[in-house]
Amino acid sequence: MKIRVKFSKVGVLKYIGHLDLMRYFQKAFRRTDIKVKYSGGFSPHMIMSFAQALGVGVESLGEYFDVEIEDGQDVSLMKDKLNAEMAEGIEVLNVTVLPEKALNAMASVAASDYEISFTDGVNPVTESMIQRFKEAKEVLYTKKTKSGETTFNIKEFVFDVQCTKEGVFMKVDSSSAGNLKPRFLIESLLKQEDICVDDHPFHILRKELYLRTPNGDLEPLDHA
Amino acid sequence: MQKLALPESVLMEVSKPERYIGHEINSVVKDKSIVDIRFAMCFPDVYEIGMSHLGIAILYDMFNSFEDTWCERVYSPWPDLDKKMRELGIPLFTLESQEPVKNLDFLGITIQYEMVYTNILQVLDLSGIPFCAKDRTWDDPIVIGGGPCTYNPEPLADFFDIFYIGEGETEYRELLDIYKECRRNNVSREEFLHKAATLPGLYVPMMLDVEYKEDGTIKDFVPKYPDVPKTVKKELVRNLDDTYYPEKPVIPFIKVTQDRVVLEIQRGCIRGCRFCQAGQIYRPVRERSVEYLLDKAHKLLKNTGHEEITLSSLSSSDYSRLDELLNELIKECNEKKVNIALPSLRIDQFSLDVMNKIQDIKKSSLTFAPEAGSQRMRDIINKGLTEEDIVNGSRLAFLGGWTKVKLYFMLGLPFETDEDIKGIADLSNLVAATFYDTVPKEKRVNGHVQIVTSTSFFVPKPFTPFQWAKMDSTQDFIDKAYKTKQFIMGELNQKHIKYNWHEADVSLLEGVFARGDRKLCKVLLTAYKKGCFFDAWSEFYDNEKWLEAFKEENVSIDFYTTRERADDEVFPWDYIDCGVNKSHLLREWHKAQAGEVTKNCKVQCAGCGSARFDCGICVNR
Repeated sequence: MKIRVKFSKVGVLKYIGHLDLMRYFQKAFRRTDIKVKYSGGFSPHMIMSFAQALGVGVESLGEYFDVEIEDGQDVSLMKDKLNAEMAEGIEVLNVTVLPEKALNAMASVAASDYEISFTDGVNPVTESMIQRFKEAKEVLYTKKTKSGETTFNIKEFVFDVQCTKEGVFMKVDSSSAGNLKPRFLIESLLKQEDICVDDHPFHILRKELYLRTPNGDLEPLDHA
Repeated sequence: MQKLALPESVLMEVSKPERYIGHEINSVVKDKSIVDIRFAMCFPDVYEIGMSHLGIAILYDMFNSFEDTWCERVYSPWPDLDKKMRELGIPLFTLESQEPVKNLDFLGITIQYEMVYTNILQVLDLSGIPFCAKDRTWDDPIVIGGGPCTYNPEPLADFFDIFYIGEGETEYRELLDIYKECRRNNVSREEFLHKAATLPGLYVPMMLDVEYKEDGTIKDFVPKYPDVPKTVKKELVRNLDDTYYPEKPVIPFIKVTQDRVVLEIQRGCIRGCRFCQAGQIYRPVRERSVEYLLDKAHKLLKNTGHEEITLSSLSSSDYSRLDELLNELIKECNEKKVNIALPSLRIDQFSLDVMNKIQDIKKSSLTFAPEAGSQRMRDIINKGLTEEDIVNGSRLAFLGGWTKVKLYFMLGLPFETDEDIKGIADLSNLVAATFYDTVPKEKRVNGHVQIVTSTSFFVPKPFTPFQWAKMDSTQDFIDKAYKTKQFIMGELNQKHIKYNWHEADVSLLEGVFARGDRKLCKVLLTAYKKGCFFDAWSEFYDNEKWLEAFKEENVSIDFYTTRERADDEVFPWDYIDCGVNKSHLLREWHKAQAGEVTKNCKVQCAGCGSARFDCGICVNR
């Protein structure tokens, strides 16, 4: 049986890196009586897959991973069992059983919600910038890569963008094919008025990860 | 509310910010307004090393079990953060409360090896605590040192208020009570330290003056007050089944060196190898019971979620009920998919059988530590391991499918000749040849055997029979490493022997501080001010700066290393009583010269003096 665990990671624990977070959850499971399935071979390990790595320094209210467990356990108790083993800042929000044929978490991810808030309390992004962005036919963004530069129409990867009091809310593509970094959008918005993104440090809070349903809708990852 | 001492801009720029944020599972947070004593426990090296140390974990657990005390942890900030803290004027902080170390009552520093001495100065410096004890006031924490290096704390004497000599579990409660009383009664810091100096196991350098002879050696130790003892006796736990042992150790977020449950099965060693300090200062051997250990193992695995457990001791094969302990542990661990790591195990049929029963065995390599190449030299150092033991052990290992063997040796042991050095090459070759004699061609897994022979340079340590020995010069070391290499190249199987050797410069410095005196305090401070720290890390070690510091302070390195010491010399550490008598060590030094071996404690008592502790192997032989 496979379960999907939704959790948040906020506060000082935002400095925990992705690999360490995986180790953290593996140890947490071992402190509970939940029976996790192990791979075979010389060094058995838990069969665990995270939806998407969260960058160091980024907070989130909607992270996910899948893990295989032994059949016949009461899943309704698992949220509390895991939360008894969490450090302050990481909370298990939901544990659901995955349908037999569901895609794994990583392959499912289609989009993310991000809330951007500028550190100094002043929001340099204005309604008119958002408006202009929305009205433009295309907005080209040039990304530096290892092999040089690539230019693409960033609008194709932005499903929604709104101005908030502290910064920006955005729903953007997070699929493995088109994952958009929130910074790229902020940079594009500010560039319209020649404002440099580096002058305005900001916090990133991921609010939710979405999958795409067969009829094309975006649904939170635990609605598989 | 979660609080951090470092701003986001700093944490996002330094490597591994997780080292500095605290909040780990099982870390202890208390209400500071209701505790009387706040204790900062420091391992003066990087977090991953410090968090792997069992001693700190034991003391952390002990202090936090006291209702009136809150113990927090401190480690050396890595050089990238060190630089930022100086730039921004951020003081060193404890991980739990994220408050400046200076706000606390005690700063306890464990001193595990000589090459952290400059890091101790870094910790004091970043904390804003005056380097020298005499310059401190009640605004500063009491700086107290512990650990193996405090068996000769003299090179650090100026920087510490107190040294705790021996095992930490026994005397701290009394010290804390006296501290509370002194603070309540508003007595001076000096008066508190005077009182502390009268407690068993506690040494207050300011309360003991040292008189020197004209040749620079020590004439005498003179206590400042009549009630301060002239000898400090080490502290020890007599019954290891009845003491502190953490059941809920802190679980780091990042992978630390010792990312596993550590089960300390015994303290001390029966062997009495003449170069080994641990084998003397932790006498007598005291075992924990199998019942106690299994209970702890069970709870620790449950409370940590670790995937591996390891046994800790100086020589696990000498634990009297090892068979029983391992069989039970294997049962529990296989069920829980926990791996068992077994260091310091003698390679014989029993240990190989055990290793085959443990699941996660990648038959990577087996390690032997003959320490010396020739039987003559192994007799001098009293290492009871023969060529036959090594050949038999390797044969069994090769039959069991192992193809890699690591061999550890020392160069520069007392009375060493070229023949002894050649013995290192010969023994390496013999092990390789054993592989080809043992394993038929069609059964050789990788086709051939791989021997890795490593040598370190011998550093004479206090409280060992070799404390009288003259240490080799750097040039001697380099020459001997070259000779070893040449001898190995001349062996039949040289193609399958890889040779590694240690840095000679660091060994020399270790030698200076190991048997150093108070005159070295100023050298340390000068070297630190020149930028020396993290000396244990080769990427930061700067030998030139060290040599300059010795020169500027007009202190001779040779006085501490290559000088011949007379049998009746008074050593800087002679005011410490580690349980083993100096007369016994001298007897052993003379026996070494004659190439005579001494039997281990299990076979025959050598009358070292530790029997007066009335515990362990001295009463249950």
